[in-house]
Amino acid sequence: MAEDGLTSHRRDPIKSSVGNVAAHRRRQNAVAVGKERRESLVRAKRLCRVGPSGDDSDIPIENDMIIDEEQSILDAQTSSAVEELKSAVAFKGKGAMQKLVGALRELRRLLSKSEFPPVEAAIKAGAIPLLVQCLSFGSPDEQLLEAAWCLTNIAAGKPDETKALLPALPLLIAHLGEKSSSPVAEQCAWALGNVAGEGEELRSVLLSQRALPPLARMMLPNKGSTVRTAAWALSNLIKGPDPKAATELIRVDGVLDAILRHLRKADEELATEVAWVVVYLSALSNVATSLLVKSDALQLLVQRLASSNSLQLLIPVLRSLGNLIAGDSHTIVAVLLPGYEITANVIEVLGKCLKSEHRVLKKEAAWVLSNIAADSIEHKRLVHSSEAVPLLLRLLSTAPFDIRKEVAYVLGNLCVAPTEGNGKPNLILEHLVSLVGRGCLPGFIDLVRSADTESARLGLQFMELVLRGMPNGEGPKLVEREDGIDAMERFQFHENEDLRNMANGLVDRYFGEDYGLDA
Amino acid sequence: MAMLVDIDTKIELGFPYWKPIRRRFGPESPFFSSGNIERELLAKQVALDLTEDEKHRLQNLVDEDDREVSCPIVGCGAHLISLEDFEDHYNARHTASCSVCSRVYPTSLLLSIHVSEAHDSFFQAKVARGYAMYECLVEGCGLKFKNYKGRQQHLVDKHKFPSSFEFFKKAHLSKKARQKQQRKQAIHRSEETSNKMDIEGETIDGLVSAVSKLSTSDSSPSSISFGRRNTRGVTFVPRAVQQEKKADSALTGTKQ
Repeated sequence: MAEDGLTSHRRDPIKSSVGNVAAHRRRQNAVAVGKERRESLVRAKRLCRVGPSGDDSDIPIENDMIIDEEQSILDAQTSSAVEELKSAVAFKGKGAMQKLVGALRELRRLLSKSEFPPVEAAIKAGAIPLLVQCLSFGSPDEQLLEAAWCLTNIAAGKPDETKALLPALPLLIAHLGEKSSSPVAEQCAWALGNVAGEGEELRSVLLSQRALPPLARMMLPNKGSTVRTAAWALSNLIKGPDPKAATELIRVDGVLDAILRHLRKADEELATEVAWVVVYLSALSNVATSLLVKSDALQLLVQRLASSNSLQLLIPVLRSLGNLIAGDSHTIVAVLLPGYEITANVIEVLGKCLKSEHRVLKKEAAWVLSNIAADSIEHKRLVHSSEAVPLLLRLLSTAPFDIRKEVAYVLGNLCVAPTEGNGKPNLILEHLVSLVGRGCLPGFIDLVRSADTESARLGLQFMELVLRGMPNGEGPKLVEREDGIDAMERFQFHENEDLRNMANGLVDRYFGEDYGLDA
Repeated sequence: MAMLVDIDTKIELGFPYWKPIRRRFGPESPFFSSGNIERELLAKQVALDLTEDEKHRLQNLVDEDDREVSCPIVGCGAHLISLEDFEDHYNARHTASCSVCSRVYPTSLLLSIHVSEAHDSFFQAKVARGYAMYECLVEGCGLKFKNYKGRQQHLVDKHKFPSSFEFFKKAHLSKKARQKQQRKQAIHRSEETSNKMDIEGETIDGLVSAVSKLSTSDSSPSSISFGRRNTRGVTFVPRAVQQEKKADSALTGTKQ
């Protein structure tokens, strides 16, 4: 795209000035960079810009879009830095170690600068085999650190760039050992975390090369940046979809204890990364879920939710809670019993999340509540009488779509008794009347109108409850008043046959020929 | 409600009732993607000096990719950026309503086909004379058929419509419209004997009555007259004539 811009300007030199060319190309680049930027930001990989010892603050981060020239300068510098490294590796004379560390440092600086480090140039120039050589056993810590740092940032890029680290993996894993100095181990963990964040394939490779046990051990101490980095790397390593890694992790001696300890006492930054580990443990491994539920993990999660205001921490803590409740029927049946303090605390803290301004928290809190409301009648009563319901009703009319859908699940679940067998489920009349009386019907009819199949289905199912269950035949009148018939008739020309049949069925049944005759 | 027992069992078997179930999602499920993105943005925010504003814009951009939706109305397929967008689109494109009977159709083609088939006596006359008047409902096809069934078969065979699809679905008018119609029926029945029917021929009258019984309105008048002179008692006429008729029924004075 930049090329096109250049040619068109060449054809009309009179019209352009130097400034225009640059600006034009900046704009052309903007679209491409915008997309690349978005992708790089949401990747599960992280660039290392500051060393473990916290030094090296002389590197300014450049946010501006890099125009071609700047990028190509950076690339050229990188290529020559790699050349320097090559000769330093080969050099056996006096001061060889200093020379080598110096060359590594130079390359590392180039790879830690801009938003898009010159990874491709580095790989093309042959950096990786050299860096692997620099990781050899017995090398001084400084050398190991710089080499691992370079590899970390090379692995933070695009998929094929991360894959280029394959030859380095065994050595990186080896340097996680307890004999390694802390900063070195941490930097290696970081590099491995990036590799694990790339995808299932690389995770598989890492697991088969036994990366998990040493990383798990690094998570045991009480504090330190190493613990945090190890936790983050583990969260990438166990994220599946194969649950084996998650199960392996929880079985490592001392891990469960460490997790609970960190949830209880660690500072918010460390607690955040550990919470993400719990997210993946609870989402993937039944063994882990069961162990966690039997411990006081639920209580600790609730405490964090109640006391913290850090969105970064709240997201994984809430989700862990949600996963534990969703994943293990034992959780609700034996632990979150109605009448227990823990149960009331859970519902209360979910209410706090519903009040949050953050979309993710509202949506996932509603999801968790919907699972609690899917349980026994006592659980439904608890939720219905809590302060969550007024919040939910308000969200049903004002929140963005994805939150409304979750709210719908909660409210609907409150109105229907647990199913036994295949018959028509029984209504909980008290809740239905109460919620409809508090104005939830328009929100459901809105969902019927949406283009989302799942939501339309939910809306129609709730309308069926209202039509069937509201006393004194009020149901049809209420639905009509809220333009429900209108909403259902939309389905006549809808491409989804199930929805069409559902809507037509309701209309036929409740708004047939004799409807309204007695009015 | 004993008489509705049959329909009851049908609904019993067909309708997927609300059943509360616990919902679990895998860690990489789209359900969690918002939160996952938020995680990464928050982690990189400080390093990259992202402003809150930038972060929100990024979040929205990525979310949008998930929220794209295509219009589910048959034959439309329009791509919409978001679900909010869909509502605007629907109101703009799919709410053509019939001024005679208030039914709503998703395209102007379907609306005009409806008006011809349900409210136009000249349409019925041509059908009676053997012209192929029933147009295919699919935009761009244009084939015409001599009867409703023929067109229906074509829709099923050629355009893969489900055999249960009914263009002439029974209407469910608003309460007001229903009451109005029931009153019209009452007046009509009382005026039946005193009405002078001006028809073009016995055969047409017979055919028209038969066809009018197929229509979807709740009230089927037993007689229809053509021409502007006898607008009294006529229910199914084109819009222009209908307006005159409305004035008439006001004059006949009904008990409200």
